[in-house]
Amino acid sequence: MKEKIEELKKLTEVEIANCKSLTDLESFRIKYLARKGSIAELFDTLKNVSPEERPVVGKALNELRSNTQRLFDERKVLLEMSVNVETKIVDLTLPGRRRWIGSLHPITQTLNEIKNIFFRMGFDVVFGPEIEDDYHNFEALNFPPDHPARDMQDTFFISENVLLRTHTSPVQIRVMETQKPPVRVIVPGRVYRNEAISARSYCLFHQVEGLYIDEGVTFSELKGTLVAFAKQFYSSSIKFRFRPSFFPFTEPSAEMDITCFLCSGKGCRVCKQSGWLEILGCGMVDPNVYKFVGYDSEKLSGYAFGMGIERITMLRYGIDDIRILFDNDVRFLKQF
Amino acid sequence: MKISLNWLNQYVKINLPPDKLAVKLTNAGLEVESIEYLGEKYKNFVIGKVLGVPKHPNADKLTVCDVDIVAQNLKIVCGAPNVAVGQHVVVGLVGATIPKNQHDPEGKPFTLTKAKIRGVESNGMICSEYELDIGEDKDGIYILGNDTQIGQAFADFLGLNDVVFEVGITPNRPDCLSHIGIAREVAALLKKQLMVPSIKFKEDKELVSKNASVVIKDSNNCPRYSARVIKNIKIGPSPKWLQNRLSAVGIRPINNVVDVTNYVLMETGHPLHAFDYDKLESHTIIVRTASDGEYFTTLDEKGRELKENTLLICDAEKPVAIAGVMGGLNSEISESTQNILIESAYFNPSNIRRSSKYIGLNTNASQRFERGADPNITVYALDRCTQLISKIAGGKILKGVLDVYPKKFKPVKIKVRLSKVNSILGTNLSSEEVKSLLGRIGIQLKNILKKKDKDSVLLYEVPTFRPDIEREIDVIEEVARLYGYDRIETKTTSYIKFSSQTPKIEFNDELRQWLAGRGFNEVITNSLLSQEVASLTSENVVILKNPLSREMNAMRTSLIPSMLEIVRNNINRQEKNLNLFEIGRVYFSVDETEMSTLVTGYSEEERLILVKCGQSDFLNWSVHERKSDIFDIKGVIEDIFLKILLDKYKFIPYHATKALVDSAISIEIQNIEVGYLGKINDEILKKYSIEQDVYVAELSVDRLKQLYQSDKKYKSLPTFPSVIRDLAFVVEANISFAELSETIKSLGGGLVKSVELFDLYTGNQIDKNKKSFAFTIKFLSEEKTLTDEEVEVVIEKIINGMNSKHGAEIRK
Repeated sequence: MKEKIEELKKLTEVEIANCKSLTDLESFRIKYLARKGSIAELFDTLKNVSPEERPVVGKALNELRSNTQRLFDERKVLLEMSVNVETKIVDLTLPGRRRWIGSLHPITQTLNEIKNIFFRMGFDVVFGPEIEDDYHNFEALNFPPDHPARDMQDTFFISENVLLRTHTSPVQIRVMETQKPPVRVIVPGRVYRNEAISARSYCLFHQVEGLYIDEGVTFSELKGTLVAFAKQFYSSSIKFRFRPSFFPFTEPSAEMDITCFLCSGKGCRVCKQSGWLEILGCGMVDPNVYKFVGYDSEKLSGYAFGMGIERITMLRYGIDDIRILFDNDVRFLKQF
Repeated sequence: MKISLNWLNQYVKINLPPDKLAVKLTNAGLEVESIEYLGEKYKNFVIGKVLGVPKHPNADKLTVCDVDIVAQNLKIVCGAPNVAVGQHVVVGLVGATIPKNQHDPEGKPFTLTKAKIRGVESNGMICSEYELDIGEDKDGIYILGNDTQIGQAFADFLGLNDVVFEVGITPNRPDCLSHIGIAREVAALLKKQLMVPSIKFKEDKELVSKNASVVIKDSNNCPRYSARVIKNIKIGPSPKWLQNRLSAVGIRPINNVVDVTNYVLMETGHPLHAFDYDKLESHTIIVRTASDGEYFTTLDEKGRELKENTLLICDAEKPVAIAGVMGGLNSEISESTQNILIESAYFNPSNIRRSSKYIGLNTNASQRFERGADPNITVYALDRCTQLISKIAGGKILKGVLDVYPKKFKPVKIKVRLSKVNSILGTNLSSEEVKSLLGRIGIQLKNILKKKDKDSVLLYEVPTFRPDIEREIDVIEEVARLYGYDRIETKTTSYIKFSSQTPKIEFNDELRQWLAGRGFNEVITNSLLSQEVASLTSENVVILKNPLSREMNAMRTSLIPSMLEIVRNNINRQEKNLNLFEIGRVYFSVDETEMSTLVTGYSEEERLILVKCGQSDFLNWSVHERKSDIFDIKGVIEDIFLKILLDKYKFIPYHATKALVDSAISIEIQNIEVGYLGKINDEILKKYSIEQDVYVAELSVDRLKQLYQSDKKYKSLPTFPSVIRDLAFVVEANISFAELSETIKSLGGGLVKSVELFDLYTGNQIDKNKKSFAFTIKFLSEEKTLTDEEVEVVIEKIINGMNSKHGAEIRK
């Protein structure tokens, strides 16, 4: 009996190594491990063994069975793996199935960021026409006829009194004409300038205008709001300055500069070695403007500001030619 | 305008380096746009004297010059044929940058280093006119007169030891268009004294009033005219100092008289004009307006037809100048001029602006008059000019000034409330502080109308050189400017007042985001194009009066043309698979009576354009190539409608009437046309040189906005399960999908929830003139679970109905 067990053990060890496929392995299982297999047969003959020897032989038999089972299991894992390797090759380095990815124009993205900051400050958004009349674009904004300030903005005319707006400021007038104070709005939109197209200027661009009118609005608060905006939009560590300037519809008027973020204020080509970048124009709404819309300039005060989106977009992405923005090369668009 | 630092120093002692001064000016609203150090170019160039010219030991054509530059004697190898002992020459020292290299075809500059030339060390270079960039002569060295000072810096010799600021002057500050004007600001900023030149000269006994007369016929447009006469002057070139001053600020010297008038202009800001006294008929000046069509030749030798209201300076017979703009050729100062009449007048700003615009001449004079000169400075400027001319050109000054000034301009007085100053600026200034700030620029406190701390009311007087200050708010601005914007506290109120509800995400932004997610790239294009192209899509084109070019003389009436340009440009760069969109406006002229628009006679509409061309999808290793077609774009539109909850839309195919597309489909929502889609027609593609199909949809965003459901509501989900069946029908080829799906829905008696097409087949397995539609039909009841038998009944009905209505055979 013992010899038989020993012989079977050797046999299984040899045969398992000869199992080259799952079919071979199945034959092996039927031959040794199945209910009618050789090991089960030996168990059947256990009753013929003398009672004294039975525990020892039984133990050996059990060992044979578990050993054979282990050989089988190990071989099975191995064979299954090799099956995968040989017949179902998956090249996991193949590229994924992709789709075209769209994009928003960088001007839109910049505008969205600006809008979102002012939305959180309680500004509403309004729009106005691009074909505008002289009254809203100039006169009501305190540009008298024959005033040299009109030369600051080269204008496309459609008729004597109708033109393409040169700034988004006429919408200030339109809002005040239709809305009672307080007014707190921003106005994004397209504006036109009759200037030759070059790397630095295009015949049209986009602006965001802001207007806040209420009781007790001060220049101090204008500064506060715009600095808060600049810190959110650019960086909380920027330095800023406000310089006196001139716009007919604000008084006092200012231009806001921030430290050049390209050279950290050390002076570079973009900031013309000054260390400062001009980012917007602003000021307290001129009392003459209130006269045109029937607001009481004694009771109310307010501020207005405006910025060019192309300029900001170009600065932040390092684009050095404005025409690239209107060229719409998809290799450019897909970078955003 | 250009401001010379040396010149400025005449009126105020500046103890700041140029760059620091520039920051001060910029922070005071006088933006310094650039600083030019004039001498920079000739740094390391000095005047030297040639002491000896021994031959070079190793080269026949070279000499080894011994040159005295005072500080030392230099050995310089020189190849010029004209070098000789005793000459005063310009020496470029080691380290100097030679402006033009005459051995370089493009004349590129180079920097001198100590070098051995044929074995002999050379310590500099004796330069030619060309090399110095002061002339074209390359044939020999530039030789100076023997009166020049050896050792002097060449820049100083040229009068270039100056710094010039380019200052951007805003149109409200005519007073700053002069050196005294800027000096006044500098004095205020640095708290220094302004020093205005004092005037002293001797008049002759002969009375000017006996020799000339002035008549103003339009005192509205010419409120003041002052003049003097100087006789027996000698015209000639100006002295060097005067020429240097003018050159530094970019004015070309002409002759001593003209140069002095320009000098006084740049000094005081007041434009002057000198006439040849002997060319003035009857020695009379008459100021009148032109009659329509009057003809006149200006100094620049151009004949100009004038318009009524153009103000003219005339003698007894003819015009001699266009007032405030330019003098006439007929009375110009020439070499033979002996006697002159100098004009110093004040003209109405808007009249001068109109003249200057109409004539198309923008001069130093017109620029100042149209912004507002100082009516009370005419005599000072005139006397300053007289003083300098008599000093430089000699002559006798006739006694007295002709000064016609019927209505005197008085300084404006302005009531200023301290409380208003502080409430506008957010400051806490006292009336003393305000007084001291304003006093620095000559705005004087005249009276205290009410003395009550913070509520004081003060009366200020503004000098007439500041025409921009007319109201309380203008004074407040000056206070802010002088106090310093940066000293005003930067604060925000601790609470936010809402002007209205916080806006929802805009419809356009939602659309943009969605389209980007769908694989479309947003473009932003020019809304100006040619009238010819704009007319393709509308008759009501808006046309510009003063376009940049003919290619951009109209406003677009469709987004397609500007988009096609983008498509073409991309295809030319080998980017052929395009999915693009734009949301932008189109513009129309409208009947003034018919429509009420914001600006009468014009309307604007916001549109969305989608474009697809090239491959339908991003190619990958398991997808076969397929070109985009009209159904790709139609699918996107259907998805947009689904996204914005618009379900009552219709696609109506029509034969191309729109000029740009064929196989077009009109899109309607609730019977309102919102746009169309189609394939750009071949002729248009040819015009744009595009050689692949382009599919496009253009929709009115304004109309979509009106029609879409902004309020989303939950619809309860079906309680009972649905049953799905596939049915395929073979029909004649002329029967459309729309007809069949309508029929299936109507036959379904409310149980058919959806009909989707999953296959369309034509080919060998069916008759030649037939096609097979395979539908997936979803059955659903709101009331109960449908049994197979119930569904079978409906299907039977559909099969029969399809057969009787369309002759459709069920395909097994």
